[in-house]
Amino acid sequence: MKERNPRQNYLGARGWLWGGNYKLERYLYLLHRVTGLGLILFVMIHLIVTTIFRIQGQDIWEAAMALLSNPWFKVGEYLVVLAFVYHGLNGLRLTIQELGLAMGKPIPPVYPWKDALRKQRPITTVILAIIVILGVIFLFSYLQGGR
Amino acid sequence: MEKNTKQITFRILRYDPEENSPPHFQEYIVPASHGTTVLDGLFYIKENLDGTLTFRSSCRMAICGSCGVLVNNYPHLACHTQIEEFHSSKLTIKPLPNMAVLKDLVVDLTLMFNNHKSVKPYIIRDDIGELARPTREFAQKPQELNEFLQFTYCIKCGICVAACPTSASDKAFLGPQALAQCYHYCADSRDGGEPERFTVVSAEHGLWHCHLAGACSEACPKGVDPALAIQLLKGRLVARALGLGKRQQPSAIVPPQTEIKPKVPVPEFNIKNVKKGK
Amino acid sequence: MRDTYLRIWQLFTGVAVAVLLGIHIVMLHLTRLFGANAADLTSWESMLDRARQGALATVYIALLAFGLYHGLYGLRGIILELSPSHTTIRVINWVFIILGIIVFIGGTYVPIALLSS
Repeated sequence: MKERNPRQNYLGARGWLWGGNYKLERYLYLLHRVTGLGLILFVMIHLIVTTIFRIQGQDIWEAAMALLSNPWFKVGEYLVVLAFVYHGLNGLRLTIQELGLAMGKPIPPVYPWKDALRKQRPITTVILAIIVILGVIFLFSYLQGGR
Repeated sequence: MEKNTKQITFRILRYDPEENSPPHFQEYIVPASHGTTVLDGLFYIKENLDGTLTFRSSCRMAICGSCGVLVNNYPHLACHTQIEEFHSSKLTIKPLPNMAVLKDLVVDLTLMFNNHKSVKPYIIRDDIGELARPTREFAQKPQELNEFLQFTYCIKCGICVAACPTSASDKAFLGPQALAQCYHYCADSRDGGEPERFTVVSAEHGLWHCHLAGACSEACPKGVDPALAIQLLKGRLVARALGLGKRQQPSAIVPPQTEIKPKVPVPEFNIKNVKKGK
Repeated sequence: MRDTYLRIWQLFTGVAVAVLLGIHIVMLHLTRLFGANAADLTSWESMLDRARQGALATVYIALLAFGLYHGLYGLRGIILELSPSHTTIRVINWVFIILGIIVFIGGTYVPIALLSS
């Protein structure tokens, strides 16, 4: 008998992005990762500005602030704030659910069943609504302040 | 009565390890009517169109867990899935992802079974003598049974592992099936093996690589809800690490009956009475 | 059990960062809604004013510590899920610990130095 070569069929990191026609919560997890990575990137740049630039005196600080008042940077800042709002609130939802506190009890799986995560949809919807509302508030703040 | 038969195109991803060609799609036309399952379609192809098509099946009633496949990019049990429910005349059938493909639609479930074994999926108690030679049953209330009954319905089909995004990239991840079964045994009131299993699941590539995407519970064909089991297991692990909550002792054996009362007064049987015709 | 303790810290620092960073963002972005001008908030004098307040310096140092732990643990989790080899995992663990300590020391030096400016 010839040696069999099983074909490796792992989706890899691409499987995080899309693995099939799954429901909302899988994409909330993906967005949580993306916002987390975005925030790490921003924090690195922000730390450089608030430490190295801040300690070198008024001229360098004001030059940095002048550069950052460019409208494109404002858009970027707003996106960072939005990312934090999403990551924080979704993280709070995940913290409660991952500790098994809000997931409910096991039920006999009588068709048509709803799994625990789908039963928590009301909580998820409320958290997403809060995220959207805060996003709109911050948008107004940015547009008004002009910063 | 003539059934309303439609011609459905099955587009199947073929792979033969003995050929050196890459995987390729092959199309077949299958007649399907109300009640025809995807597995019926696969058998029709194998019997009438292409005998080389390879797939697993056994019970054809969603209890053996053999026939997991990806239909239109969503994992299903082929025997349990009606062709009609897709409302389409074209079905794309691929083997389950996140597992090595042996041939056509047959995947290698060995890794999943090894992960399952590593969480010690059996009752662990101190009284080994009683386990080896049981004298009586263990006392368990119906409420205690309901705490883990849902997770006992797992048929080890591998669909949850195929759905899990962490299993897609992390080959050493235990997988939702093994983790849910770990909780199943930890939550069983007859079991005392929590410390042993916790060292396995709280290791690297264990429980904490689950991020509650919930795809496993969504796709599970038996409603086992592995995501719920894993989050409850996380709660237990955190409670244990922080020293919160009291650990319950495994349930004892039922005490022996002290009195046996007959329900109905029944006369004693005497063979001599039977022979004499009384 | 070590991974469980690391994860418990992740949850705790997550909540802490959510609160502290929330304060930071409301202070710097939502005050505009109440009439404060953007240019005022980032001017040198306003920045020095805030830098001299001990409470804010404490908030920033705490935010840096918790944020660094939370972010580096999360990043480590993502890298571990890509199935690196054992040696790579050990290297990553040490690199992140050392990086975290260096950035924390560098990041706390400035608020403390500016306290007495």
